[in-house]
Amino acid sequence: MTVLVGVSPGRRSAAVVQLGELLARSLGMDLVIAAVTPRSWPPSARPVDTEWLEYADASANVVLDHAAAMLAGDVKATFVVHGASSARRGILELVEKHDARLIVLGSSTAGQIGRVSVGSEADGLLHASPVPVAIAPRGYRVGKGARVTRITAAYSGSESSADLVIAAAGIAAAGGGALRLASFAVLPPAPMTAGVGANAEDQIRDEWARRMREDAAALLHEVAELPHTPASTDAVVGTGESWSAAMDDVEWAANDVLVVGSSSLGPLARVFVGSHAAKVVRHSPVPVVVVPRGRAEVLAARAEAG
Amino acid sequence: MTTLGQQLLRRKPTTPPAANEAHLKRSIGLFSLTMIGVGGTLGTGIFTVLSSSVPIAGPAIVISFIIGGIVAGLTALCYAEMAGAVPVSGSTYSYAYATLGEAPAMGVGACLLLEYGVSTAAVAVGWSQYVNQLLLNLFGWQIPTALSQSPEEGGVINIPAIIVIVLCGLLLIRGASESTTVNSIMVVVKIGVILFFCAVAVTGWNADHFADFAPHGIQGIVGGAGIIFFSFVGLDAVSTAGEEAKNPKRNLPLAIIIALLIIITIYVITCVTAIGAQAPAKFDGQEAGLSAILQNILHSSWPGTVVAIGAIISIFSVTLVCLYGQTRILFAMSRDGMIPAIFERVNPRTMTPVQGTVIVMVVTGILAAFVPLNFLYEMTSIGTLVAFLVVSVGVIILRVREPDLERGFKLPFGWLIPILSIVGCLLVISQLRLITIAVFVIWTAVFLVFYFFYGRKRSVLQTGHVVDAGIDVPYTSNVRQLEDER
Repeated sequence: MTVLVGVSPGRRSAAVVQLGELLARSLGMDLVIAAVTPRSWPPSARPVDTEWLEYADASANVVLDHAAAMLAGDVKATFVVHGASSARRGILELVEKHDARLIVLGSSTAGQIGRVSVGSEADGLLHASPVPVAIAPRGYRVGKGARVTRITAAYSGSESSADLVIAAAGIAAAGGGALRLASFAVLPPAPMTAGVGANAEDQIRDEWARRMREDAAALLHEVAELPHTPASTDAVVGTGESWSAAMDDVEWAANDVLVVGSSSLGPLARVFVGSHAAKVVRHSPVPVVVVPRGRAEVLAARAEAG
Repeated sequence: MTTLGQQLLRRKPTTPPAANEAHLKRSIGLFSLTMIGVGGTLGTGIFTVLSSSVPIAGPAIVISFIIGGIVAGLTALCYAEMAGAVPVSGSTYSYAYATLGEAPAMGVGACLLLEYGVSTAAVAVGWSQYVNQLLLNLFGWQIPTALSQSPEEGGVINIPAIIVIVLCGLLLIRGASESTTVNSIMVVVKIGVILFFCAVAVTGWNADHFADFAPHGIQGIVGGAGIIFFSFVGLDAVSTAGEEAKNPKRNLPLAIIIALLIIITIYVITCVTAIGAQAPAKFDGQEAGLSAILQNILHSSWPGTVVAIGAIISIFSVTLVCLYGQTRILFAMSRDGMIPAIFERVNPRTMTPVQGTVIVMVVTGILAAFVPLNFLYEMTSIGTLVAFLVVSVGVIILRVREPDLERGFKLPFGWLIPILSIVGCLLVISQLRLITIAVFVIWTAVFLVFYFFYGRKRSVLQTGHVVDAGIDVPYTSNVRQLEDER
């Protein structure tokens, strides 16, 4: 069982390597750091193609060397350059080959520092991956030897989201970390012209938050009856006028990881991010792990069985 | 055990205003505040109200608009003092509950169902007229009378009115909301359309139309004011936005007065040019009035089409806001235990009160489909007038009961303004049709009987199940005391 870190050839990134190492250390898995390079098609040995492939391999190796230098060294790591017709396909091939349980990717450079930003490759994998996908915020850094101290599970009140919480509880318990349930709501400001006051939405928010806390408390009660329980449990509700405000409404610690379930509409085994989940992912200040629904069910069943 | 009197007059404790710091930002300036007043008011009535009011007052409807505007302005000023004195947020219902007591608050609730719910139906009917006009102009076809009129006006059911209410309801269920920016855009659209109307209509000016200025005398003028009062609904939005206003002591009254002047000016210009362009006798029963007038004088359809499109856009936004207000008022009442809890269910995904919205949508949809427009106007007017009356009385009661209360804004000239406001409201109410007053009294009585058997026992103040207030909130006094400030 491994954690597969996908680095982009030609662009060094400390964030993704450090997140990969943090997660591998916390999960007790080995690390595979892979750079997927393009293959020429149709396969040919014309000099111009060969030159290009050599260049791609060389730049992949530069990135892998950099990654090796970034590692703390306490996690066993393998470095791979893998050729494939597309980065997404390459990563999926490597998942099978190395029995990866988690894919770790970096944010796109178009994003804001400190926030997760889903690039095109990550977006493609979010729609196709059979295993959870973790995405590091831009500029993410981890202290030496750190472990994930708390898993924050995004909870929407739906059935599949309850599975995700149980799954997250199992993983938190196995890693000795804490579990936190977080629900987020964005409420637009009340229309002033309606004559019902500027705070008309506050009462709606309070009622929603009350229901969420009730549901979360019931769920945490279930978590407490699992064979292995997390070190501590907690539930928070974040609201604001925008998604980033709602996510900043709750407190985030170093080495927090946010776990988000895929939409209940998508195919069972694949990650398919719902509209709310996608927004939570895009505004997260901490690394996000997106878990496919089918995978969450398996992990939840495992947590319940002990 | 509390006595019946104590139950009926118990007041809701107010939570300290500092409870939510996110909303303490005072961000609305004089301009935006004025825009809220203009945006909340303009568009409810002016597009359709002339056809039912000109036959009553004749060209003197201009005076009716001024009377209606003055009464609306006086009550809006009282509203501002009330809103500044009571640290609760929300509608007239919340103010009445915090100052006058539970039973008066329920009476106000009955009025607000008219002010919001019935006016939603009324504006939706107006929308259906303009949709029909637009269809006719663009495609030479319109929805048959049977499907676009209420039974009393020769139809069977008003389908377009139902459609607009359902569309707005679905938007609200999805969680849409009109931001301050959208409001400002809508204000520009509304003023633009109305000025366009005036500019074109003035080309058909005929001073002879004003010859018989007040055919029905003073009674006709005040009676007309009763109907057109409907088009001033929404001015109180300025006061409810007051808690977010910068320097409310200065800006709140100023914004109300400026907004009122803008609105009265627009209404008066519209009336004068409309009557100048079309003889008063022709207004009776005219549909999509402003559009039709332009087409009659120009014998060309494009100006009418422009006005129709503008009206459709602006009336839609008014319907949305009215429907929104209604669901939130019912939500507040439900949280207080006054009405069944179905109105306070929030859907966890959309974060909107879905069931409540659907119920409001169905009821207002039925009203819009089957009740004639005239009656809807008058019911809205009387509901609004009585709600305003209660606020004005509340200002006086509050001054007697809590003279030292810290008020964000205090009306000058002692009791003059509240008393004038009460007199004005009573005057306008007295000229409404008897049937309107009777239906209103019956409706309020039914609502209060419902309260007596339902809300009185289930009130949160009775059961002690306080949803959001802290444990230490006192039940005896409900307004900020000076002692607390020190």
